[in-house]
Amino acid sequence: MSRYGRTGQLIRLNLRRDRFRILMWVILLAALMTSVAWKFEGIYGTQSEIAAIKGTLASPGIVAMFGAFSFTGKVTTAEIFANEMLLFMALIQVVMNLALSIHATRYEEDLGITELVRAHAVGTAAPLAAAATELVLINGFLGILYSLGLTAANMPGASIEGDWLIGLGLASTGLLFGILGLLTAQLADHSAGATGLAYSLFGLSYLARMITDVQHPHLTWWSPLGWVEKLAPYNQPNWTPIWLSLLSALVLAELAVLANNHRDLGAGAITTRPGRRTASIFLRGPLSLIWRRQRNVIIGWIVGIIIFGVAYGTVFNTIGDILKTNPTMQQVFGTAMVHEANHKVLLSFTSLLAIIMAAVAVIPGMQLILKLHSDETRGWLEALYARPLSRTRLLFSYVGTAFITSTLAYIGGLGGIVVMGDASLKHVQDGISASEFWQGIWAQLPEIWVFLALSVLLVGCWPRLKALSWFYLALGFISVYMGSLLKLPAWVKNLAPSGWMPRVPQHEMNWTTFSWMVVLAIVLVIVGWLGYRRRDLHMS
Amino acid sequence: MTNPVLQINHLQKKFGHFQALKDITFDVRPGEVFGFIGPNGAGKSTTIRVLLGIIRASGGTATVFGQNVWSDSVSIHQRLAYVPGDVYLWPNLTGGEIIDLLLKMNGTAHSAKTDDLIKRFGLDPTKKARTYSKGNRQKVALIAAFSQDADFYIFDEPTSGLDPLNERIFQEAVLDLKTRGKAVLLSSHILSEVERMCDRIGIIREGKIIETGSLAEMRHLTRTMITVTLGDDFDVTTLAGTHGVTAGHQPHEWQFSVEDAQLSTVIDALSQHQVIALQSTPPTLEDLFMHYYTGKE
Repeated sequence: MSRYGRTGQLIRLNLRRDRFRILMWVILLAALMTSVAWKFEGIYGTQSEIAAIKGTLASPGIVAMFGAFSFTGKVTTAEIFANEMLLFMALIQVVMNLALSIHATRYEEDLGITELVRAHAVGTAAPLAAAATELVLINGFLGILYSLGLTAANMPGASIEGDWLIGLGLASTGLLFGILGLLTAQLADHSAGATGLAYSLFGLSYLARMITDVQHPHLTWWSPLGWVEKLAPYNQPNWTPIWLSLLSALVLAELAVLANNHRDLGAGAITTRPGRRTASIFLRGPLSLIWRRQRNVIIGWIVGIIIFGVAYGTVFNTIGDILKTNPTMQQVFGTAMVHEANHKVLLSFTSLLAIIMAAVAVIPGMQLILKLHSDETRGWLEALYARPLSRTRLLFSYVGTAFITSTLAYIGGLGGIVVMGDASLKHVQDGISASEFWQGIWAQLPEIWVFLALSVLLVGCWPRLKALSWFYLALGFISVYMGSLLKLPAWVKNLAPSGWMPRVPQHEMNWTTFSWMVVLAIVLVIVGWLGYRRRDLHMS
Repeated sequence: MTNPVLQINHLQKKFGHFQALKDITFDVRPGEVFGFIGPNGAGKSTTIRVLLGIIRASGGTATVFGQNVWSDSVSIHQRLAYVPGDVYLWPNLTGGEIIDLLLKMNGTAHSAKTDDLIKRFGLDPTKKARTYSKGNRQKVALIAAFSQDADFYIFDEPTSGLDPLNERIFQEAVLDLKTRGKAVLLSSHILSEVERMCDRIGIIREGKIIETGSLAEMRHLTRTMITVTLGDDFDVTTLAGTHGVTAGHQPHEWQFSVEDAQLSTVIDALSQHQVIALQSTPPTLEDLFMHYYTGKE
């Protein structure tokens, strides 16, 4: 029996097991890409529209978010499209790949399914090879769909080569990170650890590309996530990034196989150590239990978001210096005006970042709330139910931790941006003041709370629909992140709470909106709580 | 007579259109071990989950300590200990931490008794729960339950992963509870265990309790196996009141079963034919079980 025996059968099994997941991702991503391409000529069709957006895209704030692209000669609709969409689509595709790769390997192993499979006449590396093949197939298929969709959309300035470059470029970037997920799945000894490790590396490459993009774009070659920017599909098509991605993916795959051969099933390179003989005096109820189980995750998220914020803050001095892009301004308008303008730019940059930080800060809280249900179905709560412990207390232990985590994460993230940003400036008066900072905090917190409250409602009343929380968060994030660049109508932005509050601190804080959003969050939590007290709990 | 600890009356539970529990009625009294037996999917665990207030009954009543299992679950659980059939533990906590946590949540603490139980069951409390086998996970739950001073103990197939040594320790611990006047509800597949420990037994089939009573009472409902060697050529097949008569290995040896009501008539008839040897075997719980489930003896 070879080490790869029956890989083919496992691939078929994997594809069947994941069919709905795959279908959902593929349809969503392909539809997003194609529909934007389809509409794009209507958004940026004329030369004046292109000229206007070209300036915006060159500003350091947007570069930090969407990547650095060089424009030469006459800029076409297709080039603007590539600039706005490439990095964004790559990010979503990486998220998809990490979710699929760890689900197909480490998660199955945690459930004991891999043990069952390996007990049959199946090669030792076959489950890993099957997962890798699955990723190749999905990414390849999605890449081809992208290319065909782009070709069909036929934007002004697009070329067939560019269309295929985008499709295959995104596919190879996705694959690279998918294989990275397979590798971390071999290193960590459970799926949560593998996911954490993979996301840390993903975050690191994102930060590396952001900092290099703003300061020295040629250094972006050092971040795998930066490679998609180097495709330059519609001005100077470059196939090098694809070869680089595929080569790196191959190396990582080889490492994953190596790690797989040198470990026991169920164990990782990073092993679990023995722990305490008795519980500490702090571990005494549901709240401390969540903390004990999730503290690494919670601390990890908060620290991660702060680092994320600090990294954004380091580009303040580049962004908030109008003289760099417009050196004659000081002579024309005088110093005071320049400082005023710098301040305005930073305010608008911070307001945009606040939305991103809020969306990211919702994630750990939402995970905690949804965990109440996954713990329930995995039987981990059964031992707790038999204790003198009301459902109310159980629910609010999770919900309270979630709200505090997300709130702290957001304050930490925005704090990181503002503190680091202000410190990097030559003239402090250009930066964000303390009162502006707190306005930014109060403006986004109700949005975070409404998202979390919606999850409480779902877990309390309709736990089967809990995945809707993620869809809604993604919708809210995309509608504000991409909303103005894609010129989405106002009602789309108003679909999710992220669009209800004006951009603060760029605009004034609206306390009426604040109040009713807080009330809405409270009502949703109460309804969810009533539902949770009434419904049957599910057990595996 | 003391009040029952657990009282269930015509309990029903529907999951959508599926009627999981149709009619469950039984009670458990202090100082007694009640055996709850039935095949997979008959509704044992569903019944127990209703008792714990995890799921809500669709009809009938169930009370523990005279309190409603759904609305008063928190105060009931103050005096209740439970070990589930499949024990899931938080993977990144150690067994020792989990035992202490579970005890603290009942307002008790790690005691000398806990240490003693850890030693007797041979558990390594410093290992992370992720690395425990099924049996070790069950030990964690059992140690937490036995070191708790509850009045009502519910065990849902608690020994399915234990080795025979640990199974014996479990049985000793349960009998100790009984002598201390505690009430125990034991759901199990291991019929020899139930036969040895339980005072009364309830048999559940397709969501209905079809029989409750002591093993002795239940035996009256079925037939006694008799093996007899006679001194003459009497043909037992002609004897009224016997069932399944077969000739034995020896000449004049017969095997058959008799309903309890017919026992004295049959014995009277046999005594006319010089009984040389007679062996009567009461039905085992397994025979009873088969009798109820397959309709054969």
